[in-house]
Amino acid sequence: MSRTTPRRRGRGALATTLVALSLLISACSGSTDSQDKAQAPAKPGEKVDLRFWSWVPGVDKAVDKWNATHPDIRVKLEKIPAGSSGGYAKMRAALKSGNAPDLAQVEYQEIPSFLLENGLVNLSEYGADKSRSKFVDWQWQQGVFGSAVYAIPQASGPMGMFYRSDLFEKWGIAPPKTWDEYAQAAEKIRKADPKAYIGTFPPGNSAWFTALAWQAGAKWFGVDGDNWTVNIDSPETLKVAAFWDEMRTKKLIKTEPDFANGWYKDLQSGAITSWVSAQWGDAIISGNAPKTAGKWAVAPMPQWTKGANVSANWGGSSTAVLKGAKHIPEALKFAEWLNTDPESVDLLLQGGYGWPAGADAYKGSSLDKPSEFYGGQKYNEVFAEADKNIDTSWKWIPTIAATYQHLNDGFQAAVAGKGTFVSAVQQAQKQTVEDLQRKGLKVSTGQ
Amino acid sequence: MPTRTRAPRRRRNLAPVAFVAPFLLLFLLTFAVPIAYAVHQSVMDVEYTGPLGLGGSRTAFVGLSNYSHALSDDAFLRSVGRVLLFAVVQVPVMVALAAGLALLLDSASARGVRFFRAAYFLPYGVPGVIASILWGFLYVPGVSPLVDGMRHLGVSVDLLGGSTVLWSIANIVVWEFAGYNVLVLVAQLRTIPAELYEAARIDGAGAWTTVRYVKLPLLRPALVLTTVFTIIGTLQLFAEPLVLRPVSSSIDSAYTPNLSAYNEAFTNDNYHLAAAEAVLLALAAFVLSFGFLRLINKRGGDA
Repeated sequence: MSRTTPRRRGRGALATTLVALSLLISACSGSTDSQDKAQAPAKPGEKVDLRFWSWVPGVDKAVDKWNATHPDIRVKLEKIPAGSSGGYAKMRAALKSGNAPDLAQVEYQEIPSFLLENGLVNLSEYGADKSRSKFVDWQWQQGVFGSAVYAIPQASGPMGMFYRSDLFEKWGIAPPKTWDEYAQAAEKIRKADPKAYIGTFPPGNSAWFTALAWQAGAKWFGVDGDNWTVNIDSPETLKVAAFWDEMRTKKLIKTEPDFANGWYKDLQSGAITSWVSAQWGDAIISGNAPKTAGKWAVAPMPQWTKGANVSANWGGSSTAVLKGAKHIPEALKFAEWLNTDPESVDLLLQGGYGWPAGADAYKGSSLDKPSEFYGGQKYNEVFAEADKNIDTSWKWIPTIAATYQHLNDGFQAAVAGKGTFVSAVQQAQKQTVEDLQRKGLKVSTGQ
Repeated sequence: MPTRTRAPRRRRNLAPVAFVAPFLLLFLLTFAVPIAYAVHQSVMDVEYTGPLGLGGSRTAFVGLSNYSHALSDDAFLRSVGRVLLFAVVQVPVMVALAAGLALLLDSASARGVRFFRAAYFLPYGVPGVIASILWGFLYVPGVSPLVDGMRHLGVSVDLLGGSTVLWSIANIVVWEFAGYNVLVLVAQLRTIPAELYEAARIDGAGAWTTVRYVKLPLLRPALVLTTVFTIIGTLQLFAEPLVLRPVSSSIDSAYTPNLSAYNEAFTNDNYHLAAAEAVLLALAAFVLSFGFLRLINKRGGDA
């Protein structure tokens, strides 16, 4: 799934016990390095069972569809908690204990982490490269390292701006085309209604901030020979951080957490009048503020350069084949079907899994229609256009989860009056370099 | 001068061993082994080799480097300072409140004792996670009748802000555990023989004097017990900040030592560092609890 959903995490103790137990078991089982030989496909008529771990809403229906149409390859779906809510911890524990499922949901930013754990199967050896043209190129590249393909892309989150067209119209504000205009609009909204804000800067959700830096042209991570490169504190990022620092100090935005009760309430009441977000945000708004139906519209993301047309991506997820899979050719076949078959994609879309990674999957799908909730606008056209204007070279590092936490901690401190967003970014750069070095990885910092 | 003949010790009596075995086995499996394993994990670390670290990995002995990393991590140290501050306020408040309620329940003029005892104890039956969700609703502006009501009265208060959220958490913890402590203290009060009260009355002691010179001194063992429980519980603060984190911008990933260890393990995939933090926390709890017990026993060895 491509979104960061709100969640209650109460399974700590149980998860700890389970993981501790499985670690214990893996500690006894010794070496984790397994000699891989390319597996041959199953013989005709042979029945194959695949295990698949995912948390994407609607994926159960797609799996049912597959099982109904592919009697020889039966996929058994096991729903797990969303990745950062414990799903990844579960997968890592399973990989360590040699009991991983054949297939699993892995978000784009987590692919390098699993690569580092030696947890993903190189699918190039099974002819995955042939499928490249079936997918949006930048999304395909998210699973490619060197010449090897490690994941089949599923969905992403091209970004735009949701806004309350009724309120904007009432106050005589045009949807901002640039970030300057965004700041001006924010000021007008504050004057028009003392309760209303243009939006929130969610200090605990730096994946959102990352997407904004991506749009501004930052390239935080990369690979340079044997080194990972880290350039979080590049001028582009600092520009974005300074922009939000100013918005914050002028009190033009809220700084409440997103995907939380207060925020949902603000969406319902009109205290928050716009949201720069990914395409999958549509279902978040319509699901949590159903009474605002017909009052929303979608515009492209505000730009840093007037007249430009640059978008970014927030979220994004793939189907990966995990090390230890017993039927790799069949698993690959299922992964491709799941993410390209029109019927499967439609079932996933109904669940709200995000923006399809399949090339041209949008045309003629259930997204390709005017929406009543969004005032009759065929709003997905905005995102279809955005999907073409995302910097395709963006890469992730194996310690991204820690980087997000560093940014969150810094942003939260800034909101509490200690430091600024800019200093949080600079601090996160230092901490991220240390994170990688602690794991024994070589790091260079570019400029 | 050995007058007694020694008992024949040929045939050892195996009965005690058999009785203790189930406990010992569980103790070893669920207590000793995990602790030993955590200590073992805390002195190891994963090292990645090859270009980009993708050439494989091995787990190697690194001595105390995880400990030195934890102890030089500002965020972790701040979290320790935070729970200590929390403890300094929370422990006296909790113990005083619980003792006060217990004495009220025990006083001669108390009515509806059974009802109140059950009512005080009820929150303890609510799991900490649920309690935190419930209180979370009462803290979030726009959703909370509490916050909105106060705003109508002209008091604007942010219960989830940087300077307040720790005390909002303290409120949840008191709500959850005060009743439990009351019950422990009430049980102890019940063991005080009626003759003592009678004697006190004959000596002309009023209600207040009875509390001061009869009840409180005899309540001491239970007070010590609840204090130790509260100290340990405070250091282990976890579920409440974890649950409130999505609704508060002021709870960071290392808000309490437990939360820090949890995030290092399950978000950042640093199990070895998490193990070191967990061991440090266990040591701190050990030192503080036994330190408190020693202090108490030295001061009032006569009790």
